[in-house]
Amino acid sequence: MMRNKLKVAALLAGALLVNGAYAEAEEGFWGWLINFERTKEVKPVTDKLYQEECGECHFAYQPGLLPAKSWEKLLNAEALRDHFGDNAEMDKDTLRAIHDYAVENSADKSWYKRSRKIAAATAEGAAPLRITGLRYIERKHRDIPEKMVKGNKGVKSLSYCDKCHTQASKGVFDTDTVAIPNYPNRD
Amino acid sequence: MKPNFRFKNIVTVLCMTVLAGTAHAGDTALNPEWPSAASLYTRKAPFMDSRSYMLALNEGGGAQGQAAMPMTPAAGFEPPLFSGSNAHKYLGLGTLALVVATAIAPKPSEHAPLDEQKSSTHAKLGRAAAAMAAATVTTGLLAHWNDFHLEDGFSDPDNLHAMLGTAGMLAMLYAVSKAPASEHAGMGMTGGVAMGVAIKITW
Repeated sequence: MMRNKLKVAALLAGALLVNGAYAEAEEGFWGWLINFERTKEVKPVTDKLYQEECGECHFAYQPGLLPAKSWEKLLNAEALRDHFGDNAEMDKDTLRAIHDYAVENSADKSWYKRSRKIAAATAEGAAPLRITGLRYIERKHRDIPEKMVKGNKGVKSLSYCDKCHTQASKGVFDTDTVAIPNYPNRD
Repeated sequence: MKPNFRFKNIVTVLCMTVLAGTAHAGDTALNPEWPSAASLYTRKAPFMDSRSYMLALNEGGGAQGQAAMPMTPAAGFEPPLFSGSNAHKYLGLGTLALVVATAIAPKPSEHAPLDEQKSSTHAKLGRAAAAMAAATVTTGLLAHWNDFHLEDGFSDPDNLHAMLGTAGMLAMLYAVSKAPASEHAGMGMTGGVAMGVAIKITW
């Protein structure tokens, strides 16, 4: 009986360790374990420069929404000259600071749950450049009728996260916080 | 005495089921156009053949020219207080609280009559914890049915959460079914710890 209990305890500890491994990069396993703050979403943007520079043109996507290899591809001088159809060039120092912040807080270095899922889904293969192209994000939005997004003047594209995710700026993408413009009855 | 206990248990299970069902209904009933969890099973050929229905599949150049669209965050929206997700969360936390209460509640003497053992605070709390664990798992399945996918593997936090939560509930139900006649403390505690670990992983 005692041996069985030990086996169960070891299994549970193993499950925690498997998950806690993600925590290593930022706070360490023990830090994560005794932290009672909710980390089920995505780490909000905390860098003022990143928020200002990226948020000037579009929603400042949390670095935890893409893996480091994606930020490496997106945030370099050459790539920013054609940043999804727009020229988003910036000075060297600003670019370095934004690049470093994004890479340090990327999905594969975060212990937040959604980031962990994104990191796992993108661990292999080429670096994804679009957040909307991630398997995890695709799956979460798969059942939404086109008329609510593409055909909706208040939204237009999945890229505008904050049009529907009312707490997107806080890194919260929970279904309960979704309010689709022009579809007020969808709670 | 026995029928009275059985009646209480039935009422408890019914209440939990109603709570779980109501929470799920609150998520989908307000807009009939919004796909419900049930549509996963009922949506057959017409929808599945129309790939354009699946928005994410044709989300190609959506980000292009983003700067052209001003930011207009939704104003005045308050997340619902009662939702399937919230019901699941509070039932899970309630289960943990009941597990702790069961563990620290005074246990009846082994030599006490069976009826007395079954009506002890420890026994009542244990049954309530198991019932709440069942309701937690039910609300989890209803509210988060699209969060776990086997293809994501064992280490996926949602998969681990679902597996440990379900295992915890089963262990607690087993412990309740074995009590008070045989040893059940280890199984009950294992169930409670599994539930706790499941919560922590996706907290």
